[in-house]
Amino acid sequence: MKKNTSNRIRLGIFVSLGIVLFILGVYFIGERQQLFRSTFRLSCVFKDVAGLQSGGNVRFSGITVGTVDNISIVSDTTVKVEILIDEGTRKFIKKDAVASIGSEGLMGNKILILNPGTGGKMEIENNDIVKAVQPVNMDDILVSLKTTIDNTSHVTNNLSKITGSIQSGKGTIGRLLMDSALAQNFDSAIVNLKKGSRELRNLMDSSFTQNFDSTFINLKEGSAGIKAVMDKAKKSWLLWGF
Amino acid sequence: MENVLLQHPENEIQETAELSESTSESPADSVFHKFFLEVSSITMFTLRFFKEVLKPPYEFKELMNQSFQIGYKSLPLVAITGFIIGLVLTIQSRPTLAKFGAVSWLPGMVAVSLVREIGPVICALIFAGKVGSGIGAELASMNVTEQIDAMQVSGTNPFKYLVVTRVLSSTLMLPLLAVFADAVGLLGSFVGVNLNGHVSAFLFSSQIFQSLDFRDLFPAFIKTFFFGFAIGLVGSYKGYYSNKGTEGVGKAANSAVVFASLMVFIIDMIAVQMTSLFQN
Repeated sequence: MKKNTSNRIRLGIFVSLGIVLFILGVYFIGERQQLFRSTFRLSCVFKDVAGLQSGGNVRFSGITVGTVDNISIVSDTTVKVEILIDEGTRKFIKKDAVASIGSEGLMGNKILILNPGTGGKMEIENNDIVKAVQPVNMDDILVSLKTTIDNTSHVTNNLSKITGSIQSGKGTIGRLLMDSALAQNFDSAIVNLKKGSRELRNLMDSSFTQNFDSTFINLKEGSAGIKAVMDKAKKSWLLWGF
Repeated sequence: MENVLLQHPENEIQETAELSESTSESPADSVFHKFFLEVSSITMFTLRFFKEVLKPPYEFKELMNQSFQIGYKSLPLVAITGFIIGLVLTIQSRPTLAKFGAVSWLPGMVAVSLVREIGPVICALIFAGKVGSGIGAELASMNVTEQIDAMQVSGTNPFKYLVVTRVLSSTLMLPLLAVFADAVGLLGSFVGVNLNGHVSAFLFSSQIFQSLDFRDLFPAFIKTFFFGFAIGLVGSYKGYYSNKGTEGVGKAANSAVVFASLMVFIIDMIAVQMTSLFQN
């Protein structure tokens, strides 16, 4: 009898613990979905929600403050997203707040991001419609990326052709870099230049300059002599009238 | 009607075999007959359960006793299995997630896998192994030693006392055990995450509840009732209608485990299909 009672107590503890664990699980999951908190409703209108789903998180300044409650198609170009936001964050969200769609990491779920409005505006009210920024579509990014890749491919093709031409010695740069005859000519030109400069230096050495100087002195003396002869000739009666 | 319900299916099968011999039926026909007789017998057994479960008097004392034997005594086994599954799943998933730089998703991923599928199914399989075989062997040995007949003769309804209480206990206890298996499995996952890194208990629990949804929790919880019902029913059926002789006890226990495990997978497949149907 005593054992039976003890077994019943153990069974009671087991069942109670199991039920408590289950209720705790329900509570914490519900807490995340704002089921046990006071919330207010906002809505925003997008052309394309880019895969956002009901139950997705709503973030404000990087903090999860609510969940997406419902997504419905209004017309062929309009999708209405209704969100539930924790009442405690209402004072921080202004009338000019902007909603956009982002993702949790590179491959994560889509989330709705609320960007705070300017401080001067009034705080947002229940059932207000928030201005929405259309999300950048991944397909658009891919199309743009494809154009960039095509251009890059074109550039690399051209570069490949140019380097091929240079390697085969075509064109000015190719001949300059790859033609051995040109290089030899260049070498010999350098050698000649070297030789010429050396000879010029030899010319410019002291004996040459002395000769050069004496030549100039002689020329100077000669021209002075000619000038004196010419002066005397001018004074002579034989050359009067000239 | 009572006699028809309590008629031993093996006897019916034997009669069918004799009938097939006399009408020169092929062995394939005999197998079909056996199969359909088994199906009809299980259906009658199930219908009788529903009839008896609603009809007073109710065997509360035996229900409590069976719940203790079936539920409480299975807790250590289920808890150890759950802990190991949580730990192993975390350790095995880490390299794959690390390739994508998504190790921070490990708690969420393991939580969804455990709560949605692995926790309930592993718990049900362990339960089928322990409880299904236990019920099968117990009822079969009672059948062999003619205790069931004796109960009937003494005016006690053996079906109500033996079958209804066991099936009800296993139906009610398996969901609780699955909750424990999930909780302990998540504890194992927490240990697994912290073997190769450091994640605080608060962050871990926050990541778990961030990734879980009611759509993960409730369908998984509801299907455990069906698992428990199937395991209890199959174990009771195999034991209640076992062959006479000691061989019949082993056979009943063995076939109870095999058939109950198969039923768990079939119910799981149906449950997943139903859940995805309602979610989309």
